[in-house]
Amino acid sequence: MEYVIEMLNITKDFPGIRANDNVTLQLKKGEIHALLGENGAGKSTLMSILFGLYQPTSGTIKVRGEEVVVRNPNDANEMQIGMVHQHFKLVHNFTVAENIILGKEDTNRGFLNMDDAIKKITALSERYNFNIDANALISDISVGMQQRVEILKMLYRDAEIMIFDEPTAVLTPQEISELMKIMKHLTEEGKSIILITHKLKEIKAVSNRCSVLRKGKYIGTVDVGKTSIEQMAEMMVGRKVLFEVEKGASKIGESILSVKNLNMTNKVGKEVLRDVSFEVKAGEILCIAGIEGNGQTQLIEAITGLNSHFSGNVFIREDEITHKSIRNKTLTGIGHIPEDRHKHGLVLDYNLGENMILQSYFDNEFQNYGFLDFEAISKHTNDLIERFDIRIGRGERTSARSMSGGNQQKAIVAREFDRNPDLMIAVQPTRGLDVGAIEYIHKQLVRLRDENKAVLLVSLELDEVLSVSDRILVMYEGELVANVYPKDVTENDLGLYMSGSKRGAV
Amino acid sequence: MNKLFKKIIGFPQSESGESFLSSFSAILFGVAFGFILMLIFNPSEAFEGIGIILTGGFEAGRSSLGTVLVNSAPIIITGLSVGFAFKTGLFNIGATGQLTVGAFAAIFVGVNWTFLPGNLHWIVAVLAAILAGAIWGIIPGLLKAFLNVHEVVATIMLNYIAMYLVVLGVKETVFNSLRSESLSVHPNAAIPTFGLDKIFPDSSITGGLILAFIAVIIIYIILKKTTFGYQLKAVGFNRYAAQYAGINEKMNIVYSMAIAGALSGLAGAVVFLTQSGIHITTTYILLPQGFDGIAVALLGLSTPIGVLFAGIFFGYIKVGGFFLQRLAFEKEIISVIIASIIYFSALSAIFKKYVRKVFATKKNSDGGDE
Amino acid sequence: MKKLLVLVAAMVLVFTLSACNDTADENTLPDPNEGATSFEIALVTDIGTIDDGSFNQGAWEGLVEYAVEHQFTHKYYQPIEKSTNDYVDAIELAIDNGARTVVCPGYLFENAVWLVQGDYPEVNFIILDGSPHNVITWDDASTADVDETVTIADGAMDFTVEDNVQPIFYTEHESAFLAGYAVVQDGFTELGFIGGIAVPAVVKFGYGFVQGADQAAQDMGLADDAISINFWYSNVFWETSEVQSTAAAWYTGGTEIIFAAAGGAGASVMTAASQEDGLMVGVDVDQSDVSETIITSAKKELAISVYDTLVEIYGGTGVLGVTAVFDVTNDGVGLPQDFSRFDTFDQAAYDIIFDKLVDGDIIVDGDNTQSLATIIAKYDKVEVSDEN
Repeated sequence: MEYVIEMLNITKDFPGIRANDNVTLQLKKGEIHALLGENGAGKSTLMSILFGLYQPTSGTIKVRGEEVVVRNPNDANEMQIGMVHQHFKLVHNFTVAENIILGKEDTNRGFLNMDDAIKKITALSERYNFNIDANALISDISVGMQQRVEILKMLYRDAEIMIFDEPTAVLTPQEISELMKIMKHLTEEGKSIILITHKLKEIKAVSNRCSVLRKGKYIGTVDVGKTSIEQMAEMMVGRKVLFEVEKGASKIGESILSVKNLNMTNKVGKEVLRDVSFEVKAGEILCIAGIEGNGQTQLIEAITGLNSHFSGNVFIREDEITHKSIRNKTLTGIGHIPEDRHKHGLVLDYNLGENMILQSYFDNEFQNYGFLDFEAISKHTNDLIERFDIRIGRGERTSARSMSGGNQQKAIVAREFDRNPDLMIAVQPTRGLDVGAIEYIHKQLVRLRDENKAVLLVSLELDEVLSVSDRILVMYEGELVANVYPKDVTENDLGLYMSGSKRGAV
Repeated sequence: MNKLFKKIIGFPQSESGESFLSSFSAILFGVAFGFILMLIFNPSEAFEGIGIILTGGFEAGRSSLGTVLVNSAPIIITGLSVGFAFKTGLFNIGATGQLTVGAFAAIFVGVNWTFLPGNLHWIVAVLAAILAGAIWGIIPGLLKAFLNVHEVVATIMLNYIAMYLVVLGVKETVFNSLRSESLSVHPNAAIPTFGLDKIFPDSSITGGLILAFIAVIIIYIILKKTTFGYQLKAVGFNRYAAQYAGINEKMNIVYSMAIAGALSGLAGAVVFLTQSGIHITTTYILLPQGFDGIAVALLGLSTPIGVLFAGIFFGYIKVGGFFLQRLAFEKEIISVIIASIIYFSALSAIFKKYVRKVFATKKNSDGGDE
Repeated sequence: MKKLLVLVAAMVLVFTLSACNDTADENTLPDPNEGATSFEIALVTDIGTIDDGSFNQGAWEGLVEYAVEHQFTHKYYQPIEKSTNDYVDAIELAIDNGARTVVCPGYLFENAVWLVQGDYPEVNFIILDGSPHNVITWDDASTADVDETVTIADGAMDFTVEDNVQPIFYTEHESAFLAGYAVVQDGFTELGFIGGIAVPAVVKFGYGFVQGADQAAQDMGLADDAISINFWYSNVFWETSEVQSTAAAWYTGGTEIIFAAAGGAGASVMTAASQEDGLMVGVDVDQSDVSETIITSAKKELAISVYDTLVEIYGGTGVLGVTAVFDVTNDGVGLPQDFSRFDTFDQAAYDIIFDKLVDGDIIVDGDNTQSLATIIAKYDKVEVSDEN
């Protein structure tokens, strides 16, 4: 079978670091080829080279057998290569059709030829069962639909080779399975797909072959059908990986957090929390499961104090903390690994050391009469770097912005764990992380629970929900609709609760 | 020896080295642009002209160096004001208004409170200016923090309000009707020279320069060494993360604007608490030192030390422009040339990108997949 | 970016070329500044710019006319800031750069000229509307009570005028006399005068205006009190709503024309005039371009005074060190030569009355120290109502 793309012996040096070391990637026509690697393994660099954003230090690129030089993304477009980025590049107050034609507008004497474009888009949408309204505003449609708009953009430009960068990171389980159908349909139509991911299950489910990178080096290409998930994981991480979270039976203690009758209405008058009440006990990992946007974010904001427009009561042990300041809540013993590590968790323009004291800079340990004690901060940070295995080049002076996502998350985990809070709130703590990092964070959560602390985990990933938690609450449209134990439910049951098709006792 | 060599080689890659180089290349670009303008307007004297601009600060020896510093002191302080607010995520366009109210407060005390003995008089006048400027900064701070009124809009409005109020206040309280301007301050209210007049004779130099240095040091310490500065910067860099960390970001916005306003108010005192014969006139003009502060902050990349040098540079270039009048250049053309140099220099943030590219370092590739 | 630069450069070139053409058209004489490296006659601007439509511009026009005629190099300088020290620096830069004569337009230079006059005995200074004196230190000026007029007549003051300095003052009362005469001759009977702060120049304008109106009424054989004048010092030199509403009230009350000698407050009168269809007399310079409502202006001939003083300096006939007064005899004051906004008053009528002033047939009383009541008692044809 012919190769539509061959990247042969690609090496790319940045000053001081070799991002790609003799990497080879060969994409067959009509296949889904997974590109697997941990964060920082060089996947993005490789794709940037394919798109002409970087020039390789050495190596050759062939497209349909011909050796080419890709100078910029426009060259790539002309070679019918398209990409769906992890973060969509869409104009939110434009319609679907306007977004799709953006940059490739058909005009008639200077006027937009919208009708033809909409016809073409509608035809494409029907052909691939996209079920998209070309006139809908981007801001009005779901994330899954937005992703389809990105795919349509490539199809509209007649792309034959499609690259999907972490496409499932933002999707619900149902949306993921639909995306996989779409991808298979596309290959049936003769398109070729490169799938960048570190989710092994998805690779197993959808792709034909898989190339693995580790720390910039090319590890090999395998036939997915003949390789087990464990084998691929080992190739990626370089050692055996545990998929099951090891944990013993929980020793449930006193109630740490109790939430009573929380109600919240958002700015446009929609009820986002309805009468939510629950308890988290010492020695327990309680997981709030649900599809994104069903009130989990608001629930955590209410508990942590990021949003104070709600009714109801929040207690830590017997103390009511409902309307205490965020600082006070933190000091009462709440640790918080926030949902968005860039927005809330870190000050990216601060260095690692400065970020490590974000919740405790006012503590006498780190300041004297209002002056920061840099020696203490440095010592503290280096201690955490060691204990929590944060891998960075320049110690506490490393800027948070330059750290990889996994290390950023590890830093937040280190900071919050080190304060030794009675209640740890972890919101999607493994989002966007690779297997190694996920394993690590799960271990830490379990360790905390074994130390008789309470853990409140919010997760969208069913795997995680089932393997880590001791008890599961399912949220649907701002309400708790089920209170179950992982040993009693299947992934399928959870899916039904999450989609509102089934209710249980709370 | 080896270590020193490494330090020199590594300088362009260090944070401060990067800043220095980008500011320096911005200045080079600005001066080059000014030179092009001179070539266009007066080619035969362009070379001599650029020479005068670049050596202007030394043109009349220590006296003109003194003039450089006289002009630098207030814009160093307004530059600090703008830069400090910027470090905390706020764009203080209101430096000129804060400076104006500060100037009025200083003059009011300097003229009327003659019961204050000796040094106490100027000290109180300076403090009054700082207080007035702080109040003028707090207003947009409160509007931003609690009503979400963008500080750029609020400060621009307050500039005009300050201008009209101060003209009115001058007319009502400290008016020299013969000359249609404010009265001269009492000699005790003029900021003493602290001996600087011996170093720079025949110039209008005052202790304002010393106050500027002190302000630079204080702001440097606040930003770099204190928990207060840590909070302020956290709010400036990432308001949400600051909120998450339990920092009261609303009050920090108010504090930040208060300090920025206080600095600009101090600049007002530095400009007008002198016996050089400068007065608030009753014309409705926004004082330029506030706007120059924006350019100074941009060239100095908002850091206190950068602002110090940028302010001196701008004062230097202004005096160079003054002496350029030796040649046949029209005064208007000189103004264009000087303004071009100043405002092109203010683009140093843009040059930072290129400096990074040229001296690309390890840390850039730390990001990997990010 | 490159394109933008080229564009800017091109535009700048076009503008300078056209600017060059303008000056070439105006003067047939060669530009004496061509290739010059030092400049003989200098002007230092005050807080305004060279095109301020007032002192800077007027003085510069006279300077340029003389310099081009007699082929002197000339240049103007702008101080860094608007302080006395900066004025001194600018004057010294001009001298350093070859100036033998420095023109200082306006009283703001009084302290600066006093400071430098002794240091540069070989340089001539011309100061308009002011006379050098030392810095008014705080102790000399009464500041505690701001309502009290600041008095500078104090023992500590030094009014030394060196031999190389030419202070110039103008006979405002003669200029105002001509304006008052002209409007009454033209048939107006309901007049108004709005002064600024009652400084000597303003008082002289007011008294001269009353005398001119009286003289015209006499010449026309009008009855006693045939002319009425509202007379008011606004005590401000800037725009205020009070000035505007007063002027408006006067206009609606029957006043036909107001002479505003009040600096910036004139603009408030102008606003009232255009709203109420009233008319005005301008002040200092020909203001007819500013507003249609201005039918004439009581001028000080800044350009002429500078020109004439330069003639005296370089002709060697002048005596410096003595205050020069510019009046009708040396064309130092007068009305603009355009009488088209009058109904009947014309050039011929103007020339007759002007000559009478020059010949001394009529003497305008320029004593600003007498009270307004004294003036009211003296002139019978006009009924002055003191609105203060």
